[in-house]
Amino acid sequence: MTAKAVDEDAHSEQWAETSHCRVSAVRRFGAFTALELVAPGVTAKASPGQFVMVTVPGGGYLLRRPLSLFTVHGDRVGLLVEARGSGSERLVALEVGETVDLAGPLGSAFPTHGVSNALLVGGGIGCAPLQYLADELSGAGANVTAAFGFRDFRAARAAGAFVIERLWVASEDGAIGRRGTVMDLIAELDAPPDTVVYACGPAPMIGAVQRWTFREGLRGYASLEAHMACGTGSCRGCVVDTTRGKLRVCSEGPVFALDEVQP
Amino acid sequence: MTASLELDQVALTVELGPLRLEHPLVDASGTFDLLEYARRYPGDFLADFPYAAYVPKTVTADPRTGNPAPRVTETSAGMVNAIGLENPGIEAWIGGLHEWAALRQPVIVSVGGNSPDQYAAVVRALEAHLASASQETVPRIEAYELNVSCPNVAGGLQIGADPAATAAVVGACRALTTRFLIAKLTPNVSDVTVAARAAVEAGADGLSLVNTFKALVLDRETLRPFLGNRTGGLCGPAIKPIALRMVAEVAQALPGVPLVGMGGLMSGLDALEFIACGATAVGVGAANFTGFEAPSRILAELRAELAARGFASPAAARGIALGS
Repeated sequence: MTAKAVDEDAHSEQWAETSHCRVSAVRRFGAFTALELVAPGVTAKASPGQFVMVTVPGGGYLLRRPLSLFTVHGDRVGLLVEARGSGSERLVALEVGETVDLAGPLGSAFPTHGVSNALLVGGGIGCAPLQYLADELSGAGANVTAAFGFRDFRAARAAGAFVIERLWVASEDGAIGRRGTVMDLIAELDAPPDTVVYACGPAPMIGAVQRWTFREGLRGYASLEAHMACGTGSCRGCVVDTTRGKLRVCSEGPVFALDEVQP
Repeated sequence: MTASLELDQVALTVELGPLRLEHPLVDASGTFDLLEYARRYPGDFLADFPYAAYVPKTVTADPRTGNPAPRVTETSAGMVNAIGLENPGIEAWIGGLHEWAALRQPVIVSVGGNSPDQYAAVVRALEAHLASASQETVPRIEAYELNVSCPNVAGGLQIGADPAATAAVVGACRALTTRFLIAKLTPNVSDVTVAARAAVEAGADGLSLVNTFKALVLDRETLRPFLGNRTGGLCGPAIKPIALRMVAEVAQALPGVPLVGMGGLMSGLDALEFIACGATAVGVGAANFTGFEAPSRILAELRAELAARGFASPAAARGIALGS
């Protein structure tokens, strides 16, 4: 399946307009912060796998930050943020009542149509889009199993931000869940042959999941991350290598067919 | 100090050579893709197009895949990019013209290459197409911007840093078109007026400046170059004061040559500063990355800044920073 088919299958709508959104809740889970914002303009069009461009408040930051949709409930959007630099540190310090500018939803969505068994594989902050995906798949009657890997205790506390019935967790230091990586977790799972795999995480993890699905004869999708400037297809700053050449994570992605990415 | 004006007393139209522009703002090449915005826009994007002229991403004779990732990163008050002129090549580019033929505004085609022949090949192919195509199938292509200043292409050689090479590119294209011909200058020189003069003497009708400043960003952990191309071009607010100085220098050295000023402008006041330094039109670049609404916001601010100072038009403010 090609990424073009990903687009067509998921019917994702993109929306570049900026809306001013009030922060309605902030919850902290170790290294991650879950922000909830009132964003009816985003939720009306959103699909799992898509992202928003978030303006870092207070000025001083030129570029917006791409953040994938963590949850969508009614007119509320959830975003999961890991403080990695000064911009994301400002975002995790947001308080209820503050206003943030969001543009979106943007990018391609995870195809979910006709899926009976789904395996969601996440690494670190890459787990974020998988909650919204799990909600959508479960709502459509699919059996959803999730396997998440985290670096250490602080990162693994992010698992508390997720509400997924069958969620398996691994941490590299063994502080929470199984000691090891997410690949150790999925090796122990019995995936039915019609399982569709959805992966999001660091490039080495995407590569390992890709090899595993090839061995198991499963199909799937990967959501990729890249440094972005515009987030809306203009600047060509966020390209990744694929079997179809260089494609933009913001525009052809972030969701690609697992067999076409070259992590 | 002149008394302030009402907003509707300010007429924003400007004339960039033969191009009649509704207002002074154009997009800086490579920062605003019309079709990409159109597919993310709720209304009729061609009807609501915010710039007075459209400068598409640089097109070259042959397709280019561009530089390896990562290609962009934020720095203090700016960003560094090394895209590498990724584009489909002039043949495929011409094949897509019908998709935005309905654009009302004039188009300034940004042309790139590694040699005068490569620039000429683009202009020749496009002129041949425009001579034979029916009007409804092509946008209003009224000008060329010769991008002799991309800092991110193989070899690291910038034609724009060599006045003779700049003149050779301009001369090769001048021979092929009567359309308005702009040379886009590099700031990576000690005296920007030298290449500016060479371009005009070779037949350029106007000049745009500045392109990005060659820059290096390190990965904080590994202390190795962060970008896939190692070096990139710095843009954004950090470069605005240097860009203003260079626009003013060229305006003083070559009075009467129409200038498109650009470099880190984020607001209407920034745009007015470029006009005060002698620019006729103003290019909006990195500000496009702050949101879809940037051009209309900057334009509204520019109108208000002109009105507040009693300028009835951009022309009334043009060059006032250059006097003693």
